[in-house]
Amino acid sequence: MNNIFTYILKTPRGLLPLWLFVEFTTTMITYDSHTLSNGLRVVANHDSDSAMAAVNLLYAVGARNELSDCTGFAHLFEHLMFRGTRAVPDFDAPLQLACGENNAFTNNDYTDYYITLPKDNIETALWLESDRMRGLEISDEVLEGEKRVVLEEYNQRYLNQPYGDMWKLLRGMCYTTHPYRWPTIGLTPDHIRDASMATVRRFYDRYYSPENCILSVSSGHDPEHIFALAEKWFGHIPASGFTRDTIPAEPTQTSARRLEVVRDVPATAIMIAFPMGDRLSRSYYLCDMLTDVLAGGTSARLYQRLVKGRRLMGATNAYITGDVDPGLLVVTANLLPETSVAEAEQALWEELRELAESAPSDYELTKIKNKFEAEMTYGEMNIMNKAMNLGYYSMLGDLPLINREAELFRSITREEIAAAAADIFRPERSSTLIYAKQ
Amino acid sequence: MIQPPAITIPQTIRVAQPTEQRLANGVRLLALTNPGQNVVRLSFVFEAGTTTQHKPFVASSAQNLLNEGSSRHSAIEIAEALDYYGSYFEVSLDRDYSVITFCCLARFFDESIGTFEEILLDPLYAPDEISIYASKRKQSLEIERRKTATKARERFARALFGEGHPYGVSYHESHYDNLTHNDLEEFYRRRYTAENCFVVCSLDDDPKRLARIARFAEQVPSAGHHTPVEIPAPTSTLYDSEQVEQAVQSSIRMGKLLFGRQHPDFVGMQVVTYILGGYFGSRLIDNLRERNGFTYSVFASMINMRHAGYMAIATDVGCEFAERAVEEIRAEVGRLSKELVSADELETVRRIMFGEFMRILDGPMGLVDVTIEATQNGTDNHYIARSLDEIRTITPERIRDLAERYLNPETLTTVVVGK
Repeated sequence: MNNIFTYILKTPRGLLPLWLFVEFTTTMITYDSHTLSNGLRVVANHDSDSAMAAVNLLYAVGARNELSDCTGFAHLFEHLMFRGTRAVPDFDAPLQLACGENNAFTNNDYTDYYITLPKDNIETALWLESDRMRGLEISDEVLEGEKRVVLEEYNQRYLNQPYGDMWKLLRGMCYTTHPYRWPTIGLTPDHIRDASMATVRRFYDRYYSPENCILSVSSGHDPEHIFALAEKWFGHIPASGFTRDTIPAEPTQTSARRLEVVRDVPATAIMIAFPMGDRLSRSYYLCDMLTDVLAGGTSARLYQRLVKGRRLMGATNAYITGDVDPGLLVVTANLLPETSVAEAEQALWEELRELAESAPSDYELTKIKNKFEAEMTYGEMNIMNKAMNLGYYSMLGDLPLINREAELFRSITREEIAAAAADIFRPERSSTLIYAKQ
Repeated sequence: MIQPPAITIPQTIRVAQPTEQRLANGVRLLALTNPGQNVVRLSFVFEAGTTTQHKPFVASSAQNLLNEGSSRHSAIEIAEALDYYGSYFEVSLDRDYSVITFCCLARFFDESIGTFEEILLDPLYAPDEISIYASKRKQSLEIERRKTATKARERFARALFGEGHPYGVSYHESHYDNLTHNDLEEFYRRRYTAENCFVVCSLDDDPKRLARIARFAEQVPSAGHHTPVEIPAPTSTLYDSEQVEQAVQSSIRMGKLLFGRQHPDFVGMQVVTYILGGYFGSRLIDNLRERNGFTYSVFASMINMRHAGYMAIATDVGCEFAERAVEEIRAEVGRLSKELVSADELETVRRIMFGEFMRILDGPMGLVDVTIEATQNGTDNHYIARSLDEIRTITPERIRDLAERYLNPETLTTVVVGK
């Protein structure tokens, strides 16, 4: 559906979320799951059509687990996970010899490592992943080198891009307490520069344990075989007695927030964000549908009315951040040169108010539900997508949800959508960022 | 010490061949069938890339506005008809080709195919839609061109092929203001013809659906003649640069005009560029990223076009590292023709390339893309097996000889945009 999500394939490693509006599709997917005695959760999907295996390791640690003076660390650490162990000094080389390819990304909530390779070579992937779950060995020199790479990533993806700091500004406004207030790349390059070896060790020992990890596989192997292989490669790793962090909750917002900045950009952009429920709440699905009514496809309201009908904007969007803890529903617009900020804001608010005042039609809802189902089917064609999704739902603590979501969407009524719109789109809960051109 | 698991090296990759029929209008329809497949995709490929336009942005506008209204339905009605069934329409454009792709769930095929037909065969190009589109695209191109990477890419094409060359030229976004209904209509009539078209589809084995697709494709009008595209000889310049005051990174593009996929040395040069910068762990990654920390990413590849081909290296580096990065890239290119690649390194690259083919071909959508590319290149899906054979048997000596022949570092075109 229309939520902001975090991965694309075939790009350099170390990918971060934000800006990448990849459709996150779930599937009606068959799977079996099993937990090893050390706490490692294993989920396997059997796909007899594929000659490949997709192996995914999700560690439930992301930017939300960072301290406010050491932001960007989870992502820096993800980079370090590729810099070798005592037994395997180069992670990529043995995998490449097995015709494998791998990458990883970090977001607010978790860090994901993924591999595809010919299914007969699946043990190479499991060997390498089990090795780096325990045996990482980082020298001062490697740490310093990797910091430079991450600083260039910071430059490339944020500083050297028009609108590159919009999300950082918005997060800072929407969150006062919860660690979602900083971006995954970090609040400032200084935090990356200052990261110490002691922090590296502490972070690794604390979060990279079998209890905090999910191994998910989609391949031509049957699940029992995958469980046996998981036992063989990961069974010996001791449990660490891991306990979850307590993350401070964000207090309820009671007054509108607003920030206006002026930048050297070709078009003025607006973002309006509203707090919404957590990933397992019903609010999540309602908000997802709200953003679909607004911006799910070219027939959706914002595009048809504001871009095409009234010609106020060059582009509009609406999406949810899709975070595990209570996240954001965001509405965005790039203004055409002749449109004023006031005019654009008013037009956006009219659309939001209309949703609260009159329920969307049955037709609109059916369209969104059909679209959701189609996207599930398209997504099911890719084994990596399946393995990632299995890991993700397992992390949420409700693996069967992966197959229940279609039903959940179908159960939503017009009245419920209108009530959700009235509840979410309150001016006193809004945060507005005006990113004005000079 | 744990023993690494044994590895199996796949010896071949099974690549399905499409069944082919030639329709009454002369269009080739290539079908890839897969029993039980619940998604239908069809892609129309036209020789209607930017080299075939007489006015800036006409080729891209003609394809992007296909779905913005027909003689029977408005743009919004068409958008609804697609979205309601979760069907989609997608276009891609390069210098040579326009590819129009339609996708739907098999169970909504009957509901969707009529809309697909209307989009492709009956575009209205209403002036109102053109002006909305133009202002939207003008804005997004303006934003795009604030990026050093975009500036560098455009300058690099100009430097490789020449300022006004159809493979090198780029246009100011203000040209969007001059697009007219007649421009698009004329282009559509001239280029979206049966003579310029082939179709690749992927579906289950229901013959009724394939017959329906054939009836669709048969309606692509014939112009009665095929006008070949004339591409003049390119002229490369060695160096170009642009200062961008606010840049924190400089975008570097380096490369050299060589040849396209039909050339007997193309696959060999693909191996050479893989060694240089085709994978994570390549020489350029090792040097620029892992050892020097100049960049987050660097990549090299062979680019195939219909009437040309070139080797390209792309990276964005901290501004203060730009000069040293260019030197290091030159040194790595030079090393290819001075030293023999080791057996281990070559074996790694072979297996990576092998794995890459397997990944592309895993699943029906990748197979459509491979079939499109093979057909564009005047060959068929057997080219994968031939390429793999060549990758398997290429020697370090041949790699060195190819690098010596084609990649003299002094002759590389270099573009730097930043500070």
